[in-house]
Amino acid sequence: VRSDRRLGDVALLGTLGVLLAAVAQFGPFLYTSPLRTPLNPVFATTAFVGELLWVAAALAAYWRDPTGRMWKLLLASRVVAALGAIWVVNTSLTWTVWEATVGLGTVVFAHLVLAFPTGRLVSRYDRWLVIGSYAALAVARLLFVLVWDPRTGACFPRCPVNPFLIWPNADLAWLFGPGLSLAIPVLAVLVSVSLLRRWLAASPALRRMLLPVALVAPVELGVTAARYLVAMDQDAWESVGITLSTSPLAFIHAAIPAGFLLGMIAARLARAGIADLAVELGRGVPLGGLRDTLARALRDPTLALAFPAPDGGGWVDPHGQPIEMPPPTSARSVARLERDGETLASLVYDPAIEAEDPGRIDAVASVARMALENERLAAQVRAQLGEVRASRTRIVEAADAERRRIERDLHDGAQQRLVALAMRLDQARGRTADASTIIDTATAELLQAIREVRDLAHGLHPPILTERGVAAAVEALAERAAVPVRVSIPPGRLTPDIEAAAYFVAAEALTNAAKHAAASEVTVEGRIEAGAFRMTVRDDGRGGADASAGSGLLGLEDRLAAVGGTLTINSPPGGGTLVLALIPLSEAAG
Amino acid sequence: MAADRPLRIALADDAVLLREALAGSLTAAGFEVVGQAGDVAELTALLQRGEPDVLILDVRMPPTHTTEGLEASHAIRRDHPRIGILLLSQYIETRYALELLRDDPVGVGYLLKERVTRIEQLADAVRRVADGGSVIDPEVVSRLLGRPRAHSPLDELTPREREILGLMAEGRSNAGIAEQLVVDGKTVEGHVTRIFSKLGLEPAGGDHRRVLAVLTYLRGE
Repeated sequence: VRSDRRLGDVALLGTLGVLLAAVAQFGPFLYTSPLRTPLNPVFATTAFVGELLWVAAALAAYWRDPTGRMWKLLLASRVVAALGAIWVVNTSLTWTVWEATVGLGTVVFAHLVLAFPTGRLVSRYDRWLVIGSYAALAVARLLFVLVWDPRTGACFPRCPVNPFLIWPNADLAWLFGPGLSLAIPVLAVLVSVSLLRRWLAASPALRRMLLPVALVAPVELGVTAARYLVAMDQDAWESVGITLSTSPLAFIHAAIPAGFLLGMIAARLARAGIADLAVELGRGVPLGGLRDTLARALRDPTLALAFPAPDGGGWVDPHGQPIEMPPPTSARSVARLERDGETLASLVYDPAIEAEDPGRIDAVASVARMALENERLAAQVRAQLGEVRASRTRIVEAADAERRRIERDLHDGAQQRLVALAMRLDQARGRTADASTIIDTATAELLQAIREVRDLAHGLHPPILTERGVAAAVEALAERAAVPVRVSIPPGRLTPDIEAAAYFVAAEALTNAAKHAAASEVTVEGRIEAGAFRMTVRDDGRGGADASAGSGLLGLEDRLAAVGGTLTINSPPGGGTLVLALIPLSEAAG
Repeated sequence: MAADRPLRIALADDAVLLREALAGSLTAAGFEVVGQAGDVAELTALLQRGEPDVLILDVRMPPTHTTEGLEASHAIRRDHPRIGILLLSQYIETRYALELLRDDPVGVGYLLKERVTRIEQLADAVRRVADGGSVIDPEVVSRLLGRPRAHSPLDELTPREREILGLMAEGRSNAGIAEQLVVDGKTVEGHVTRIFSKLGLEPAGGDHRRVLAVLTYLRGE
């Protein structure tokens, strides 16, 4: 239904466009005027074909996006072109109106070029350029018709009168009339520069679409500027201007709608590539190669694929590496593929694709859905693997660091004491008077060494954890803590790895509470709930703990991950710290 | 118990070197070492042949090297209630001290292993255990007393009362405390009564029961 209505609109628009084109090219010949040159059938027909290309481009733009601005702009340029034909009607009013609109076609053309291919002006520079040009032209031409007296200057035979003339002034009339021609080359340069800047910054897809204007517009603007300059002098106009206006260069602007139409046809033909995509996917794409395949089918080499990260937060690329999604304000578009409310994948693509061929993204995405699903699973497995590797590395590093700490403790403590002890006993040899003093000192040092070795050994693995389980071990820990600790854990036994994980979480959390949080009380609670051992350590300290900052907490995360558990830390600044460890009892760690 | 007869001691520890050294020290201190065992099986056999006055055994022994000594002590006290038992441990756990006392607070002791280096301390402990007293390592007591607390009746005790509470927790009798602090027995009794009333404890029946009451209070509060 919608398509039928659009077809009707297109027919209406097409009729209007052809009429405008006919008026622009053949209108002058319907009216007998001494001012026009005789009809050159070849030239007029060629120009008419050029006009029809513009009309066709307007229709195509309307067909592609009826709500867009492009077709309106294209149509407006044709209305202005048709308006140019009224100069030939030799009445004062038509003559004056025509004079008042001289240059409008050039400004509309500049607008069209800058707004290509969507009809929207993208940069602020472009907007000011276009608005400024319209405003300057309107003001100059309005002042022109107020001061211009056609009878004073060199005039065609039977000069018309200016009905709007209120204050004849030849100097001002020159300034706002022929003098304005000097501004045209400036406009041509400004537009060409802006176009060049856009071209340099454009993505491959956008360049495909910009190609006709980028090639043609500077030439067309150059020719126009030359024609205006030449027209300032009657002799120059007759020797050069006429030639310029009738040479093949006069038709070069028609290459813009032609390129526009060709681009649309090419984009349509690219849809056929989606069928090839289906075949290619059917044959099977190697894992990780899907992005390249889709980029070819979409004709967007900048395409990126993103999959939801396995832990639910953030995104990963096909290699499982974490990636950032572009913010909504960025110059990238995101298409999210969902199934039953679950996100399968996101395609990050060039918005020019949407302008070039609306619907291609949807078409490609629906064909590639199954392959994307596979790629998503592979990416998520890779991401998990990456996390496991990182965790394994951290565990090895933590073990090494622990070995170094033990070595240092033994070296600085017990070993030094034992050496000193041996020396003291050696001193006691052969003496009788102060032997007992030496032995007393030696014994004291020996006891200190014994104590240090005991603390060291106990810190490595508290025997009571193996002997009596996590409740007893955490209670023993609480007895030694530097802050009051309330412990509430049922006495039952769990598997050794779960007990060890829970114990070390409590130990680290208690150490942090005393050392960093300046807590005045800590509560440790443990219970079995929904098939998991759930332990919370809550303190009333200063908060602000961060798992990523302290290697201690990160090590705990690894330890818990190894038994399939999770660690959650809630530590708002000034609001105490809550450490929650959740360990599934049916150990299903991967 | 005849004062002229030396106390007969049995030793159970899998560390032979330490066991021999301990035997040497004890013999030098006037005790008679009547047997040695390296594990629970040997120990059981040893006790079948004859009961010592005091058994000194390590908490951790083969095969699992966890709490075999502790488990064995429960069985021995059931089967041989007349033997005084002194448990030695490399680490001190207040929980184990209480488990030991809870069975029957008569003739038991729980000491940090390194105490054996001071033979007079060890000899004192052995004698108290042989006398049916209880001996708790000062480490247990200092850990319980030193534990940080939010608000506690312990704050109301004077330093001297705290000291006496500690000695009670170690298993000392009033006479022992009086001797240690060089005051007379009546003074100690007065302190003990005030401590019990400040902490809201029932006066315990005898020195033996008192240890358990005080430790339980300190641990659980």
